[in-house]
Amino acid sequence: MIPEWMVGAPRSFDTVLVANRGEIAVRVLRAASESGLRGVALFSDSDAGSLHVETADEAVHLPGASLAETYLNAEAIIEAARSSGAQAIHPGFGFLSERADFANAVKAAGLIWIGPPAGAIETMGDKISARRRMIESGVPVIPGEEIAISESVDHLGALAAAAARVGYPLLLKASAGGGGKGMRAVHEPKMLRTEYEAAAREATAAFGDGTVYVERLLTGARHVEIQVMADSLGNCIHLNERDCSLQRRHQKVIEEAPSPAVTPAIRSAMGEAAVQAAKAVDYEGAGTVEFLLSERGEFFFLEMNTRLQVEHPVTEMITGVDLVQKQFEVAAGMPLGLTQSDIGITGHAMEARIYAEDPSKGFLPAIGDLAMWREPAGPGIRVDTGVREGDSVTVEFDPMLAKLIVHAPTRTAAARRLDNALANLRALGVTTNIGFLRQMAQHPDFTSGGITTDYLDSRNIADFAEPETNPATLVAIAAAASRLGLDRVGASGSSQSDADEHTGHAGDPFRTLSRSFP
Amino acid sequence: MEWSVGETSERYTAKLTDTEGALALTGLTSDGVEQAHSEISVARDNQPGRLLVEVNGQAQFAHVAKVGDSWWIHLNGRIHVVNGHETGSADSDAGEGGLTAPMPGTILEVQVKEGQRVREGQTLLVMEAMKMEHRIQAPRAGEVLAVNFATGDRVDMGDTLVELGE
Repeated sequence: MIPEWMVGAPRSFDTVLVANRGEIAVRVLRAASESGLRGVALFSDSDAGSLHVETADEAVHLPGASLAETYLNAEAIIEAARSSGAQAIHPGFGFLSERADFANAVKAAGLIWIGPPAGAIETMGDKISARRRMIESGVPVIPGEEIAISESVDHLGALAAAAARVGYPLLLKASAGGGGKGMRAVHEPKMLRTEYEAAAREATAAFGDGTVYVERLLTGARHVEIQVMADSLGNCIHLNERDCSLQRRHQKVIEEAPSPAVTPAIRSAMGEAAVQAAKAVDYEGAGTVEFLLSERGEFFFLEMNTRLQVEHPVTEMITGVDLVQKQFEVAAGMPLGLTQSDIGITGHAMEARIYAEDPSKGFLPAIGDLAMWREPAGPGIRVDTGVREGDSVTVEFDPMLAKLIVHAPTRTAAARRLDNALANLRALGVTTNIGFLRQMAQHPDFTSGGITTDYLDSRNIADFAEPETNPATLVAIAAAASRLGLDRVGASGSSQSDADEHTGHAGDPFRTLSRSFP
Repeated sequence: MEWSVGETSERYTAKLTDTEGALALTGLTSDGVEQAHSEISVARDNQPGRLLVEVNGQAQFAHVAKVGDSWWIHLNGRIHVVNGHETGSADSDAGEGGLTAPMPGTILEVQVKEGQRVREGQTLLVMEAMKMEHRIQAPRAGEVLAVNFATGDRVDMGDTLVELGE
């Protein structure tokens, strides 16, 4: 049944299929449920018991273990929409979200694509054509040079010449890269070859395209991005900026909104440029225009992400706009229902990405079973998670487990709330970056609001090591936990498993009073 | 039972005594040597996986979960791992000269040869795991005794990639 709010819309639907997994699939499925829509999930063999499947009204199994057979299998996904009666497909982020051919295939199948037109994805998805379109539309871009690299031609000769013209330090980007993959900084000419080869390999492994281009690396700059939202009737607004300057190798660590470096004048100019960029590609739906903001307050277009962004919740927190709900409305052909003057800023929001990774080992992805996963709660705390207690973390998928988002009246209060909420996120069994995130949230360089994009890469990560805890306390806890039988399934004060192995009595673990076991 | 904390090598033993419904730490050794310690007691709590810990009269909760031989402990906003070992058992060989693959993946590049001397922090090989490149670096200076894999090889977690001598 079409939900009441959508009745009379040009392209109404009552069932949405979410072509994704993990926390973003859960996020979108929850929004669907709130909006009165039926939600359909997809799952691969190993995801049968995942949280996103549990969250959906219906789930369709995509047989197979590889991504190509499952979450990247356009044909099977469209067939799943048909068989489950879904009229619309939400791609989430990653996977097929920025594939123009998929957007086209969805539409060709007579389904509603909850995303921008294929043409916008195509233009913005190729960094070279995006840059060209932005120059034409008067959006400022970073000094750089396009180089088409084809097989059998001398890659390095052409690259070195272009690099010399652009100047060092520079950034090598695989045209089809993204999320930090296929992107490398080169500080001096002699490193060009090594970094080029690494970038080309990463891009090929992740995206199947080895093309690369060069641009000047702005040091001391901040990564500031503008959320835009456009409807199919030509209305386009921006929802302020997010600051994602705290990054490690181009992977965002903590994001926040508003940016501590953005003045009302910069916000308005940058917002206008972002809307201009979106309009230049006839954008529809939610999108993000990324800029680099220099120390002097100049900003340059980096790229446009033609999808919902991982860090979209911080924008939702400060504007009060539910971006996924808006995506549904716009996809149904309804007007935005908001004008620029409706968008304000309330308080300050921060998001920390919880990864299964080991900061002390070069942030190597970690695997294991989440023997305990207990989330913090309280005013201004939001956890967007894709996992729950008992889940396995494997090498198959991205190691992001969840996002912890906080909202508070001021930036200082938000940083404290973030630290405190992280301290109360009890994730045991898998190594995570939670401790590192706490060190960051407390760090004077972060709390002062002065972080630039090169910050983490120019620091020794060991300097962010957590404070030591007295080993005696930890050893006593481990020994006591063993003694009290907390390793037994269902261990609790009253469970059957409490039968004491020394006395045979059930229940009270202290029946062995005054006996001690070394 | 002996215990080690995180990746440190010290082996601890703990003696616990039941007193008034709690287990009090009444003896602690580190590598066989008796250690002075704070006044610590641990009591069962009614929430599953939670213990009540008192250190010098200060009470706090600890959340615990056992995975394999290790206790994962959340205490005071920090997460720790305490590993259990059979008394007198040898150290596991991790970090003993064998450099093991931290993740399943593919070797992208081998940057050292057998017999080569390397400095601490030098990249030995580059591997790809979870679509990202990881540099395997020498934990200390030494001589490369063996390189067990070549470019393009698939490796499993725990495979010894490079053997490093003195």
